[in-house]
Amino acid sequence: MAAQSETKPESEAQQTGIYVYGILPGDVELEADVRGIGDPPGEVRLVRQGDLAALVSEVDVSKPLGEPDDLVVHEQLLDSIAPDAPVLPLRFGAVVASEDAVAHELLEAHQDEFASALEELEDRAEYVVRGRYVEQAVLQEILSENEEAARLREQIKDADPDATRDARIRLGEIIDNAISEKREKDTRTVGDALAGHAVASVVRPATHELDAVHVAFLVASDAADEVEQAAEKLAAGWEGRVELRLLGPMAAYDFVATTAPES
Amino acid sequence: MTTAMQPGGGSAARPSPSGLADVIDTILDKGLVIDAYVRVSLVGIELLTIDARVVVASVDTYLRFAEAVNRLDISQDKEGLPGLIGDMQEGGAKHKTKGALEAAGEKLRDFAADSRERAGQRSGRAGKEGS
Repeated sequence: MAAQSETKPESEAQQTGIYVYGILPGDVELEADVRGIGDPPGEVRLVRQGDLAALVSEVDVSKPLGEPDDLVVHEQLLDSIAPDAPVLPLRFGAVVASEDAVAHELLEAHQDEFASALEELEDRAEYVVRGRYVEQAVLQEILSENEEAARLREQIKDADPDATRDARIRLGEIIDNAISEKREKDTRTVGDALAGHAVASVVRPATHELDAVHVAFLVASDAADEVEQAAEKLAAGWEGRVELRLLGPMAAYDFVATTAPES
Repeated sequence: MTTAMQPGGGSAARPSPSGLADVIDTILDKGLVIDAYVRVSLVGIELLTIDARVVVASVDTYLRFAEAVNRLDISQDKEGLPGLIGDMQEGGAKHKTKGALEAAGEKLRDFAADSRERAGQRSGRAGKEGS
């Protein structure tokens, strides 16, 4: 149970690195046999230093990281911890030379910063509300709201695509703009509906042209049910128009920031 | 450990980040970044990060939307979308909602107001809007 860090054959110093998933309070325990990223997957363990611990596994740095499985494992590992203990998630791809460097250059060097960030996350987790417009529904909606769009639609109908290229581009632009406006409005609706149940929120940028809503909320564990209910209600109200999903509890990716310079 | 998405009949789906897309949007450009001098550089990671962020509306996007409009069946009402939402409706796992702790709501609300200000991220308050 107790995480130990038995050394492994670390013969070629350059071949392996220590992949860091996240930072936790020093009093956590790790289950045995947790598998990390890489192929074959490294064994996940804790490097402890003072009141902190780093969740790590050894990786082969001569091979590129970033296989889909690696990404998924990184997040799942952190998300599996989040409901039980505060965790500061690291961005994907943090590899440090040795466990000693993890202990001293990472943990010790940022001791206070990490400790106070962890304190803020105590009994809290992140939830993400993510919605995507049902294309046909949102197009119908826009055509019924925008006369020019409706007119352009008639114009391109059964017409030679090349001859109506300008009209098509204009129509598409109107739609794209209309979706952006709807996105803003619907994002506000979600924010308003959940604000009372959340400690903080961050609007994430759209990553798809049909994205309707993408907002991260930091939620106290005893308000999780309220968030779920509020999300259910929104989803029901938008049925057929927006596919809404509530993700979480997850590690608080959107609510951590360091003063550490990125270069 | 993989949890498939499981929207319960049009309600908000619950459990954890499901698809790779969700994961990418979360862990590639969010989370703590450690100091460059501690870090061992890895080939390809920066590239991954950049790839994940590109969403730009272009003429292609516009033409695609126009084509989608062109294909719309005029007689189709809002519900005629089985193809699109069908596969999302599988496995409608319902989750139980236990009695919530209302008391916590009050305390949080105050707190929320503060942190929102700090984060500067909340978009103003809009009235009720129907859709």
